[in-house]
Amino acid sequence: MIKRDALVLGNKTYKDISDDICRLVETVPGGKYFSLLFSAKALFILYIVTMGMIVATGMGLMGVNSPVGWGTDIITFVFWIGIGHAGTLISAILFLFRQKWRTSIARSAEAMTIFAVMVAGTFPILHTGRPWLAYWLLPYPNQRGPLWVNFRSPLLWDVFAVSTYATVSLIFWYIGMVPDLATLRDRAKHKLRRAIYGMLSLGWRGTARNWNHYEMVYMLLAGLATPLVLSVHSIVSFDFAVAQLPGWHTTIFPPYFVAGAIFSGFGMVVTLMVILRELIPGFKDYVTIHHMENMNKIIMATGLMVGYSYGSEFFMAWYSGAPFEEYVFLNRAFGPYAWAYWIMVSCNVIIPQTFWFKWARRSIPIMFIVSIFVNIGMWFERYVIVVTSLHRDFLPSSWGMFELTKYDIGALVGSFGMFFFLFLLYIRTLPAISIAEVKPVLSIGREREEHHG
Amino acid sequence: MENSQEQKKYWLSLEQWKDDPEFKKMAQNEFLSTPLDDNGNAGEEGWARRDFLKLMGASLALSSFGCVRRAAQKIVPYAKRPPEIVPGISNYYSSAFTDGEEAFGVVLTTREGRPIKVEGNSFDPSTHGGMSVRAHAHILSLYDPDRVKGPQKISNGHGKDIQWEELDKKVVESLKQGTVALLTGALLSPSTQELVKTFNKTFGVEHFVWEPFSRSVVAKAQKLCYGKAVYPRYRWEKADFVVSVGADFLGAGFSATENTAQWSRRRRPDGDMSRLVVFESLMSLTGANADDRYRVRPSDYVRVLMGLAYEIVVAGGHSRFANDSQVKKVLQPYATASEALGFDPQVFKSLAKELWAKRGKSLVVVGDLPGQSTEALSLQIAANFLNSLLENDGKTIDFATSPYVGLRSQGNDLQRLKKAIDDGSVKTLIIHGVNPIYSAPASLGLKDSLKKVNLIVYTGDRVDETGAVSHLLAPDHHLMENWGDVEAHKGHYLVQQPTIEPLYKTRSFQDSLIQWIRSSGGSFSEENWYHYLRAYWKKHIYPSFAKGRTFEDFWIDVLHKGIVFDESREAQNHGSRPFLSSAWKSFSDRAPSKGPELVLYATSGLKDGAMANVSWLQEFPDPVTKISWDNYLCVSYETATKNGWKEGQVVKVSVNGQTVEVPLHIQAGQHNDVFGLAVGYGRTRAGEVANGVGVNAFQLAGFSEEGPVYSALPVKVEATDKMIPLACVQGHHSMEGRQIVVEATLNQYRMSPSANIHRHKIFSMWSKHEYKGHKWAMAVDLSACTGCGTCMVACQSENNVPVVGKKYLLQGRQMYWIRVDRYYEGDPQDPNTVFMPVMCQQCDNAPCETVCPVAATSHNHEGLNEMIYNRCVGTRYCANNCPYKVRRFNWFDYTGLRSPLHLALNPEVTVRSRGVMEKCSFCSHRIVQAKNRVRNEEGRKPDKNGRILKDGEVTPACAQSCPTKAIVFGDMNNPMSKVSLKFKEKRSYSLLEELNNIPSVRYQTKIRNTKRSSSHHQQDGHS
Repeated sequence: MIKRDALVLGNKTYKDISDDICRLVETVPGGKYFSLLFSAKALFILYIVTMGMIVATGMGLMGVNSPVGWGTDIITFVFWIGIGHAGTLISAILFLFRQKWRTSIARSAEAMTIFAVMVAGTFPILHTGRPWLAYWLLPYPNQRGPLWVNFRSPLLWDVFAVSTYATVSLIFWYIGMVPDLATLRDRAKHKLRRAIYGMLSLGWRGTARNWNHYEMVYMLLAGLATPLVLSVHSIVSFDFAVAQLPGWHTTIFPPYFVAGAIFSGFGMVVTLMVILRELIPGFKDYVTIHHMENMNKIIMATGLMVGYSYGSEFFMAWYSGAPFEEYVFLNRAFGPYAWAYWIMVSCNVIIPQTFWFKWARRSIPIMFIVSIFVNIGMWFERYVIVVTSLHRDFLPSSWGMFELTKYDIGALVGSFGMFFFLFLLYIRTLPAISIAEVKPVLSIGREREEHHG
Repeated sequence: MENSQEQKKYWLSLEQWKDDPEFKKMAQNEFLSTPLDDNGNAGEEGWARRDFLKLMGASLALSSFGCVRRAAQKIVPYAKRPPEIVPGISNYYSSAFTDGEEAFGVVLTTREGRPIKVEGNSFDPSTHGGMSVRAHAHILSLYDPDRVKGPQKISNGHGKDIQWEELDKKVVESLKQGTVALLTGALLSPSTQELVKTFNKTFGVEHFVWEPFSRSVVAKAQKLCYGKAVYPRYRWEKADFVVSVGADFLGAGFSATENTAQWSRRRRPDGDMSRLVVFESLMSLTGANADDRYRVRPSDYVRVLMGLAYEIVVAGGHSRFANDSQVKKVLQPYATASEALGFDPQVFKSLAKELWAKRGKSLVVVGDLPGQSTEALSLQIAANFLNSLLENDGKTIDFATSPYVGLRSQGNDLQRLKKAIDDGSVKTLIIHGVNPIYSAPASLGLKDSLKKVNLIVYTGDRVDETGAVSHLLAPDHHLMENWGDVEAHKGHYLVQQPTIEPLYKTRSFQDSLIQWIRSSGGSFSEENWYHYLRAYWKKHIYPSFAKGRTFEDFWIDVLHKGIVFDESREAQNHGSRPFLSSAWKSFSDRAPSKGPELVLYATSGLKDGAMANVSWLQEFPDPVTKISWDNYLCVSYETATKNGWKEGQVVKVSVNGQTVEVPLHIQAGQHNDVFGLAVGYGRTRAGEVANGVGVNAFQLAGFSEEGPVYSALPVKVEATDKMIPLACVQGHHSMEGRQIVVEATLNQYRMSPSANIHRHKIFSMWSKHEYKGHKWAMAVDLSACTGCGTCMVACQSENNVPVVGKKYLLQGRQMYWIRVDRYYEGDPQDPNTVFMPVMCQQCDNAPCETVCPVAATSHNHEGLNEMIYNRCVGTRYCANNCPYKVRRFNWFDYTGLRSPLHLALNPEVTVRSRGVMEKCSFCSHRIVQAKNRVRNEEGRKPDKNGRILKDGEVTPACAQSCPTKAIVFGDMNNPMSKVSLKFKEKRSYSLLEELNNIPSVRYQTKIRNTKRSSSHHQQDGHS
């Protein structure tokens, strides 16, 4: 029998777990945390200012033009939506598959989903020419006829997909947190704190009945969230696949996008977890090297799927005999944006191959570097799809180039500020590891040890 | 009060009755108490109440500016509107557009008393309603915010407002002292000429006439060759075979609108299609349209003509000159011209054969700027000789109805003027209609000479380059504010009607002359210019066209049609003229040059730069290079490669002791030893739009006794490290083997009318749309289209399309609803050039419609793809999904126009706000207008399918302005409509047919009348 690795290190007792996790919420953070928080906040302000200027002056401030009508906003939107997928996969699918190792990372991964979707959600609104009218994309009864939205448009499907995703993820995340919020309430020494966590914990008593209902709801929500992992990015890919544009108009896009999303999502989880482990050394006992290795395996697997998609696109371009399609793919690999294409291939296909080696999978510096490359590579994947397809389509007379302006950079970099600002706030205000879920898996991998001890 | 003697006097008080001086003073004071002190100065508080009121009044006037201009004296409430003005309905007035020495009839559209659009006049037999880019842009020059608001006194280049009385006093004082010179541009108006003659007689004025693009060398050569100085009119419609040597007659050359309209009539492959062979150094629009094109240096143009003549006369032994020993002697040195120029000897031999076979039906043209080298006269003589020996004279060369019989410019009049000034015989100089400080070569040194003149009066509409060295500015009306007439061709009279009350306190040049004659005591019977014009017409023009009508009836008819001419005169055969052998004495030819040569050329947008401050013209991309907002040194591909020069690299161009720094443009099809630089740029004082755009290439020109030399200038070009990006609206110049512009030779077409069109087998799961009423469609004949781009500016004017400027053009933010794509095919040294106007294709299966999330673009029951601006939220998904890339996005707020430019906006078309998509609508507002119009007509009811409009009752702006009539618009559901017939032609195809978008626009194959093969687009081999 193979010996299982312990999921929680350091011979914790149940109280240790509660203390370790709640301490973060109950104490005042140190200077390291605040310096990170304020850096993130500075970037967040940059984001708000950039977007404010664009809304005030016009989309023309960004690099988008004719023929490249979509640019940084859509690229970054798809990027952040993709990031979100790892969270749902970890919390829902791995839950249904009874993968116990998910417990310590599920909460933060799902928080990442929520924040990533929040960040992503701002982009499609701000990329419109008249964002103050973006609510017209919602189908609501109105006095304009009534004038309904165009249900044939993939952008509309996007509205539904993303809003459903955001809602379900938020509920799932919140319901999962209720027992832990109750723990925080019970430990609270200050009245206000007790009131706030009390309200958030929805009157949780920890009775068997409570637990029974809770587990039922949690499982149902996991079941509900599972198809979303597949559907959301499939629908996002329809924005491209349903269009007529060579390079977009391909049937491989839905699975390719889902694989890419999970790939990028795990990349981001690894990045965040490495940072979290450094920031809060106590977490190293919960988020062990074993967890990290598991995630790296998924990165490698999905990276291979993504690589397969890249190859398959080229094959189809050749095999279809469609001259426009052929041109687009040759242009991607050897045209003026070849640098972007090869950044994408290097980061997404070549670099993750280091994870074939166990020592690499278990080396924190290596996995951090690889995960950063995966993040960069996946942003470039969307860049390649959006920009290289648009910049040279059917009529050569209309070919053009796309250049990032300082506003594009501001929006891109600033969106990370928004994400990290929210994430940093989260880890000190909500239980960053699921207390209720870690306690049941405490025994895994160390039973025998206890016998001896 | 002063004239109280004549009138009954009513009085209010005894003081008034007594005319008490105390009372008079008091009565003149509006307010008895004033915050001003006794000296009229403001109190300590700062602004006096009056100053405040003045400012208030001024700002109120400014903010309310832009309403209908009415006559100052008579104010009529709009409730009793003038009978001809109905709010919301356009009025149309015939008028004339004069541009340098060129003129044609136009119709001005006015709305609520302001002109908003210029259209061609279909009564004008020379243009048939065709237009030019510049004629469209003319409307914007009326509303140019940089025009002066009234007469000015200029010192140190700055104008100060004065009153007309003050100006007149100064001018008349100076005029009375004698030694007056008048410098004008060409005066095409017969009545103005008469007036100027009177003026000149009154003051003993010496009159100089100068235009930068003077063609006096043509007349001089005609005089030498035939004994009489005329400007012959080319009858393109009678020519089977045209050889152009350096003449850009379809592009920026002389009279291009008429040429394009007439030449293209013979370019229909189903009829008797004419053939065009071009020898040129730069890649001009004419060269791009040639059936065969050869590259030669401008200094070799003479050798081309003489070589051809040699082949016909000496080698072929043809023509009446075959036994003329003098001619043979002249032609002998050109026996091997073909080889000397680096051509296959067969080229000249076969051309000569072809020319001889088409004698009497061929046409050899030279001239325009690239022909203005020091040998310009010899070049003209050689061309005259060729036309004479080919028996074209009197047939395709029409010397009887010569164009523009107005007062023509003399190329060397500026030299004469300078000499007169230097001799001290000019104390007063009046400059009208020409801007010599800008457009004269620097080497002339005119600016320094002008300092010797006591008083310079300039009639320009701003203190421009010439204005800055003048003393008084007596601004002339804009053409649209003024009466006028033009004798376009001999016996062709156009009348120019004012369509708006003058916007500012300007005065027409003619009224100024009348005023000055009168003020100096001269007698003048007519009250003003308008009466003078009418009197002139009554006396000189009316008698020959009277046909029993009274003058009033005749005059109303002329104003209505805008043109009067004698049709029978057109058809008369005047025979041919003998070629005088004495002309050869003036013929000279220099040894072939080896060094690099510079050609200064004109662009069809800016031409001489007079209208450079019109943003439409600056944004208008050159039809061939597709570059806007700059001039640049054109170099050939090979020269650039050899020197390692890059597009946009700044080079120093030194010629005639002048050096300018310009960016470089690599131009396909250009001669390797020739550089090209456009004139018309580099204005310094034209206004906000034009100042600082490009460099002034006029400064580089040389001078000969015939006038400025623009061509074959010895030049030195040095590269620098600097780069200036060029705003090229077309990103790529090859079709990449795709079926975009289908091209076939005439022979291929005759064997198979659908030659070279690759048809796709398309099947669809869905049924097609059904259109019960009208189904609008457009056909674009690529054989007729010359790529001139008039449609682009016509559309811009009609649909309020904004101008974005160089910075944003570089970012790909052009807003044109219709663009003309230009592709090269083959060797970059000697490419085949094709043009394709692309507008919204109004697809039946429109890809844009399905993807819009808010349904802001939808399909209507007449096949139009409609854009609903106020529903658009600006996702730009439609633009991404449009394979034709015709959708334009409002990246910024483009509505903030500098007043009064907004007066040129068409109220029929929404001005789009920021953040919405826009595109060609097939001028849907015109369709609605036409329907409304015919519904009011007696007996017009929709038929059972809801169709009401007949073929030709709606024309979009692009089709209306097209000088070649390449664009045909109409109803597809009417089987006999022109567009239906065009669609049924075998050479019709849809752009990107394989996508099954089913566009409502179909193109007809470009047919070239050449023996070279053209089957490039079949190489792609897809199925």
